[in-house]
Amino acid sequence: MALDFSLTEEQIELQKLARRFAREQVAPVAKEYDEKEAVPWPLIEKLHEIGLLNISIPEENGGLGLGLVEEVIIGEELGWADMGFYTIPMASELGITPVLLAGNAEQKERFLRPLTEKPALAAFALSEPGNGSDAAALKTRAERVGDHYVLNGTKMWISNAAEADWTVVFATFDPELRHKGVVALVVERDREGVSFNKIHGKMGQRAAPTYEMVLEDVKVPVENRLGEEGEGFKIAMLTLDKTRIPVAAGSVGVARRALEEAAKYAKEREAFGRPIIDFQAIQFKLADMMIGLETARMYTYYAAWLADRNDPRHIYASAIAKAYASEIAFDAANEAIQIHGGYGYVNDFPVEKLLRDVKLNQIYEGTNEIQRVIVARHIKKHIP
Amino acid sequence: MKFVAIIRQVPDGEAKLKEEGGRIDLSGATMILDQMDEYAVEEIIQLKEKHGGEAVIVAFGPERTKEAIRTALAMGADRAVFVKHEGDADPITEARALAQVLKEEAPTVVFTGGQQADWDSYALGPAVAEALGWPSVAWTTQFELLDETKAKAKHDLDEGAQVVEVALPAVFTTQQGLNEPRYPTLPGIMKAKKKEIKEIPAEELGVRGAKVEILSQEIVQIERKQKILDGTKEPEKAAEELVKLLHEEAKVI
Amino acid sequence: MVLVFIDHDGKKPKKGGLEAITRARELAGALGVPVAGLVVGSGIGEVAEEAKKYVDTLYVVDAPEFADYTAEKWTAAAHTAAQKTGAKAVVAPASRTGRTWTARLAARMDAGLLEDVLELEPSAEAVVAKRYTFLNRVLEKQKAAYPVVISIKPNTAPLAEPAGEGQVEALEVALGELEQKVQVLEKIQEEKKRVSLTEAPVVVTGGRGMGSAEAFKLVEELADLLGGAVGATRAVVDAGWRPYAEQVGQTGKTVQPNLYIALGVSGAVQHQAGMNKSKVVVAVNKDPDAPIFKETDYGIVGDVHQVLPAMIEAVKKLKD
Repeated sequence: MALDFSLTEEQIELQKLARRFAREQVAPVAKEYDEKEAVPWPLIEKLHEIGLLNISIPEENGGLGLGLVEEVIIGEELGWADMGFYTIPMASELGITPVLLAGNAEQKERFLRPLTEKPALAAFALSEPGNGSDAAALKTRAERVGDHYVLNGTKMWISNAAEADWTVVFATFDPELRHKGVVALVVERDREGVSFNKIHGKMGQRAAPTYEMVLEDVKVPVENRLGEEGEGFKIAMLTLDKTRIPVAAGSVGVARRALEEAAKYAKEREAFGRPIIDFQAIQFKLADMMIGLETARMYTYYAAWLADRNDPRHIYASAIAKAYASEIAFDAANEAIQIHGGYGYVNDFPVEKLLRDVKLNQIYEGTNEIQRVIVARHIKKHIP
Repeated sequence: MKFVAIIRQVPDGEAKLKEEGGRIDLSGATMILDQMDEYAVEEIIQLKEKHGGEAVIVAFGPERTKEAIRTALAMGADRAVFVKHEGDADPITEARALAQVLKEEAPTVVFTGGQQADWDSYALGPAVAEALGWPSVAWTTQFELLDETKAKAKHDLDEGAQVVEVALPAVFTTQQGLNEPRYPTLPGIMKAKKKEIKEIPAEELGVRGAKVEILSQEIVQIERKQKILDGTKEPEKAAEELVKLLHEEAKVI
Repeated sequence: MVLVFIDHDGKKPKKGGLEAITRARELAGALGVPVAGLVVGSGIGEVAEEAKKYVDTLYVVDAPEFADYTAEKWTAAAHTAAQKTGAKAVVAPASRTGRTWTARLAARMDAGLLEDVLELEPSAEAVVAKRYTFLNRVLEKQKAAYPVVISIKPNTAPLAEPAGEGQVEALEVALGELEQKVQVLEKIQEEKKRVSLTEAPVVVTGGRGMGSAEAFKLVEELADLLGGAVGATRAVVDAGWRPYAEQVGQTGKTVQPNLYIALGVSGAVQHQAGMNKSKVVVAVNKDPDAPIFKETDYGIVGDVHQVLPAMIEAVKKLKD
């Protein structure tokens, strides 16, 4: 009898809360933050107040100990309102996850509890100016000196970095060892030698603060190391296996928004004597949007369900969800603009922003090409 | 001390109304805790936080009213009493039933919305007070509990307002500005799971039919012309055109 | 008998009272009974002199205890009069206070409550009434058997004409423990405007899109030019730019002018509930997606700060 596609009562209440917050608080100011490229701190504070920020932090560290299914519920709603805003709590979870996976009890308490007591963020720094997909080729150097590491290097495209209390930085103690030479270190924002350059001129998701993070002789105590030397790469990959799922949820939210806006417009706009929704060309576009949205949503929930059970299938499922959802969302946003005609091209209407925002979902947290590498790896290994 | 909020579940204002067979069809509608009742829930939670005691939700309606009850519990109320009733019931009929519940609960003060967004009635609060022989204050914008036996409140009249001192227990209906209702929180949603919702069938309280029968409901939407001009490039021209239309076509100026 | 509560301004019956009398007469006609009127207050001799012209018998509750309104006292007065007259129907204007004490009265009399009604179809056994529900979006037909307590929606019934000279009877109302439980400490008057918002033929409302309190000077100018009143949305009142007395909407006032102009108003359903029965609706908003445009006869998508001054100029030219 097992298969059951319903949400629990609490999950339904959570969805209502997230939807209401998204509609009442985030959506009305999304355009403003996008235009100004400004960090929406008031919204982050409100998100914390209603308990939707950093929800994966375990109960024993002062959090709610919730899983990816709950993150997906929240992600779709916040993505619907503003994908740029959603990247902020999403990237915070991206920073928290390595601590959950590889931190010891003392580290979890030290790093995670402060993120529950006030509106606060974490961050995750893997990419560098010279390497993104080829993560093992990272160059940031961690030199062990007695009881601490000295960090030197530059990280790139790091969401939240300057606002985060701390960032998990992946560095190499021996470039010859490639992925076996990587160490994961928690670097507090105000350590000497840490500086940030905000990246401007992004196409979309402009409410999300993105940085170049510069590390100059930053001293980080050994107590801040997650796991052992040489385990850093594995920790990063295990993290991304899970955290790509909320990206998919955000994409689902964008796709839903695109469909709703396009359907609304198509019912009102008239051409040749009738609302354009009467024409098959428009109907087919809307139907394709819905086909993509429904399948992406279901699969994203499935991936979250697998991940919450630590079922090994979540590794390829999260990759499928992330790639697929971002692609159907991009198509949906594109067609939504098309349906709006000229009005879709100007920012009085919300649809052009959807396309600008969701394009990034195909690039960050592992490009869609890397997602396909992961899926192919599974095929090679397991499908005879 | 015990503080009670009477709540109602109504359709979400954003939702489009549907008509079926001469009646409004709510089967597919998103239903929410009425916004005016939210002020009542917020007020009792604040009173409990300030004075101690219990914040209790009382509700009347069909099975899915439980969703609104859970929202109120997630905001921070302690427990709920739910009088389950399917079908129409006018405010006086509901008031009679709830009065029996309230007589047993013996609260210090009761709040409910000044109006609810489905039956558009102001009657529930005053009728509950009447059924209990208590005083009532409608459209309350400020409330202060002086002690267990009296309260001071400001409330709106037809024009202007009054400040009154009221002997408790009494019923106060809410007006915008009384407080700023909080969102439920996720921890609140999870704690609400363990909170008690006591269910009482309405028949047990003697509810049989209603005093006012609803014969029909019809969505009335005035067909608007929706003649929208583009004023983004030449606002002055658009304004002139608009004034011309109002003068010559609509003949309203 | 049919009992009608006639509200007054201290000197003479108010418009609401005259509307209620019209409906009371309809009911009385269907039942073949006389109409009794009720006026309540302190020092209301003048009111009684005028009110008696509209009814067969006028009951007057004139005592210092009734100087200030409370729902309990007004209910007591109406109930005393209803019992005295054996009234099967009590009619009152659906003002905010009217809708409150009539609810208490209906519960006290075990009567059906028909609240804020537009029209009545009375017969010998029951009354059928029409009223709006779901935030003024649905027309509902309701039926209640006698006894009934009915409140009449403002501006929907014709004003009654005087019809002779009724008998005047002073009415003693016994006030008990319940009525002592509410003490009025202070009365706060609303600022009297030249044009009453609910009566104005034109209402010009500014919303959040106006941007600031200062910008409302232009709203006032347009309202003055058109001989209308200024309205405000809830957002504007919450922001402190305009007083609550100007708020149009579910928790504010309901208006039904010939012309309603919404400037920088998005059109939330709670606001629309307060104005959607206006004869002609005009909206100016820079967001083409704003919900208000669906409920508009004529509109302009554009910057209200550029459109409004141009509208004022155009109206001025028209007047010349």
